Amino acid sequence: MPVRTACLWCPDWPVVALRARDPALRDAPVAVVERTERGLVVVATSSEAAAEGVTLGLRRREAEARCPGLAVVEADQQVEARAFERVARAIETFTPRFVLEEPGRVTFPTRGPSRYFGGDTAMAVHCLDAVGAVGVTDGRVGVADGGFAATLAARTAEPGAAYVVPAEESPGFLAPWPVAVLDDPEHPDDALGDLLVRLGLRTLGAFAALPEGAVLGRFGSAGARAHRLARGMDEPTAPPAPPPPELVETAELDPPAVHVETAAFAAKGLAERLLARLGGFGLTCSRVTIEAETERGERLTRCWRHEGALTPAALAARVRWQLEGWLTGDDTTGGDGSVDEGSVGELATSGLMLLRLVPDEVLPATGRQLGFWGGDAVAADRAGRVLARVQGMLGHPAVVTAVPQGGRTPRERVRWVPWGDPRDPARPLGAVAAPGANAREVPPWPGAIPAPAPARVFDPPSAAELLDAAGEAVTVSGRGDPSAPPARVRCAALPGSGGEVAAWAGPWAHDARWWDRRARTRRAYWQVLVAVPDGGRVACLVAVTAGRAELEAIYDCLDALKSGARARPCARPGRAAPRPAIPRACPRVARRTAPPRHEGARTRRRRRPPRSGAARARRARSVGRNGRPRTGARRGRRAGRTAASPTTPSGRGCPYTSPAAAQGPRRTP
Amino acid sequence: MTGESIKGIVARLRIEHTFAYGPAVALAALPRRDEHSREHLDNAARHARPVVLAGERVLAVSGPLGARLPGGGVRRGTVVAVDGDPGAGATGIAFQLAAAATAAGEWAAAVELGAGLGGLAAGEAGVELDRFAVVRRVPPARWAAVVAALLDGISVVLAEVPAYARTGDARRLLARARERGAVLVAMGPWPAEAALRLQAAGSEWRGLGVGEGALAHGDRRVHVDGRGVAPRERFAALARAG
Repeated sequence: MPVRTACLWCPDWPVVALRARDPALRDAPVAVVERTERGLVVVATSSEAAAEGVTLGLRRREAEARCPGLAVVEADQQVEARAFERVARAIETFTPRFVLEEPGRVTFPTRGPSRYFGGDTAMAVHCLDAVGAVGVTDGRVGVADGGFAATLAARTAEPGAAYVVPAEESPGFLAPWPVAVLDDPEHPDDALGDLLVRLGLRTLGAFAALPEGAVLGRFGSAGARAHRLARGMDEPTAPPAPPPPELVETAELDPPAVHVETAAFAAKGLAERLLARLGGFGLTCSRVTIEAETERGERLTRCWRHEGALTPAALAARVRWQLEGWLTGDDTTGGDGSVDEGSVGELATSGLMLLRLVPDEVLPATGRQLGFWGGDAVAADRAGRVLARVQGMLGHPAVVTAVPQGGRTPRERVRWVPWGDPRDPARPLGAVAAPGANAREVPPWPGAIPAPAPARVFDPPSAAELLDAAGEAVTVSGRGDPSAPPARVRCAALPGSGGEVAAWAGPWAHDARWWDRRARTRRAYWQVLVAVPDGGRVACLVAVTAGRAELEAIYDCLDALKSGARARPCARPGRAAPRPAIPRACPRVARRTAPPRHEGARTRRRRRPPRSGAARARRARSVGRNGRPRTGARRGRRAGRTAASPTTPSGRGCPYTSPAAAQGPRRTP
Repeated sequence: MTGESIKGIVARLRIEHTFAYGPAVALAALPRRDEHSREHLDNAARHARPVVLAGERVLAVSGPLGARLPGGGVRRGTVVAVDGDPGAGATGIAFQLAAAATAAGEWAAAVELGAGLGGLAAGEAGVELDRFAVVRRVPPARWAAVVAALLDGISVVLAEVPAYARTGDARRLLARARERGAVLVAMGPWPAEAALRLQAAGSEWRGLGVGEGALAHGDRRVHVDGRGVAPRERFAALARAG
């Protein structure tokens, strides 16, 4: 006997979902299309479009011909499923055991809810009310024996109403339906309905009248299954899975815990229970959220992550540190809520009443592989515990490790990752391509500030003044020319607030992200050796942005570089040092820095930025392949075009063209 | 051979050949000295010994800086005070001490207060960046607690000392470092005793001209002061190796 089932059907759900996402579609006729082997085919229509004759299965062009002004949207199942989530939540309020057949259709057994609400009709009305409360007004509910009959009953129902097939009457209800309803739209190849019609069996009733054995012999198991459906014997499916286990462990503390010891004792049992339950499901947990509530109703939450799987002892220790952080925050740190943005409040002002452990990231338990030699593992374990403890005191983002990454300035070239998070660079490192890797995929970072790296990096940069001999601020023009050589640097971060400039290099102009209008920054960098008042010399990096100078970093001398880093030959004292390779590419030429390929490739392919005047001139001057100058016609065309469209300093053209380069074509003989 | 002399030989042999069985009667009758076994035995004895001499608990520092330090490194369980103006080289020295820990497979951490530490410079100084944690945004009242917590499990802790650090806190940290066998590198004015005081006294930079070149490298001047430092070595200019 099939299970009595209810089906909630929201017709044209793709249209509803897309209209919810895009309000502009609300008043227009809409057709949702999907790509099939026949091209774009309509899979759902709005009622306005249906009134104009747009039917399901039409090709896009034909649909547009039938209904001018039709808005054609591609189906997006993700949007549909996401929009259906609120309907599912509404149903969840009265039954936990439901099955989402597809976005727009959900079935559930009626036994429990119908008895609770007093009959199928009352339950269906309640279901429609619940769904209507979340804004779906044209839902339809069908109740019948078995999911197949319930689905058809929902299709019979009026919009916003229910159709209840009385118990045991499903075969009679199904009999007049055409056999085409047996076909599964997902598998059009084994379409049985067409074949049955050609055999003269037009309704489910006629098909159901055939003997079962004959159907199995003629049509195989798929036919037998369809036959059972037609007779109202729903296919025996697995019952809806029970709701996922509630893995949250909660402990109520009565009397409220004021001391760490009391709460930690409860937490220890809690941690053991949680991991034992997870272990029962063959799971383990790598991230856990610790929640606590206090007598005054404050809620404190903090998320903890562990590289491997948490053990009961490790979890209990983390809970304990967290409780220490909440309960025994030193007298003076009370107002310091800014340490961690993630936490609701930094400190508990009263005893803890409730403690909860929520597993956040659950993985299948595969065991943990320890290092073969032990060795480092002990030290790493101890360090990990200590750092986690400091995180408990100050918040997760307070403990960081450095990850080198691609970039040009010292600040860009390091990403600080909170301890415990994956150490991945945000931008790929340039220059070092793995031997097998495609070298073109690794973006270079031309114009990067050369090594050595500064020991102190100011983030944000410290305000400074870069002055020339006359006491005026040194500025850098759009073409990368300094107004005057720098003579003084003033900055509060330097000893003695700065002093005279003893040596300098620059400006190295950076035009970073020039292809992005909003994120574009134009900056000039100076390496400056400042003679500070007490006789010392301090090397620092100064950036000038829009006429304002900032101290970016201070260098410290390192005498023992690692062998890998010692790339530059060492000059003997008294001899001029060789000029390093990288700045030669960028000093004074003030070239724009190339976009990293992974960021700029798309933009470039679509709309190639105009080639700079300098590059054009270089091309015009260059010689042909066989050593002779390019042919006159070609050269003339290029030169003519250059002359016809002079570079515009204001636009995207090239702010850094030097005048000499721009005159290139005219100087060619 | 007289009886007395044989007794003397036996006594001496007992000291030398502790693993020889039975009474030693004569040198020629004894098995030959087995260097390999002796080394093995010495190792075992060193591990089983309850007392470790202070001089043996040294974290070796490589490079010219290590050559200037007493014993070639810093003793575990002590405080090293590193001081100097910004840009004088104090941060670089601290990074090299952290590199000594990570090179030995151990961990290092830093507590920063003001200007950020340069992660790349730490890498260039030889620090393994995945074993080097930086603690930021430390509230003033918790500075001592954070440093004490780090000393519990991390070999070398670089701590910028705030101006408000109290002598009492500093002494407690000193005791904690001694107890845990960790090295506390105090960057800034350390208000208590320190086994070693390093004063960065500026650098001579090369490679940077007037409007040309770029910073390349330089020599630093470091004052080394403390127990075990010969007086004439107190002032040393470190030339860049290579």
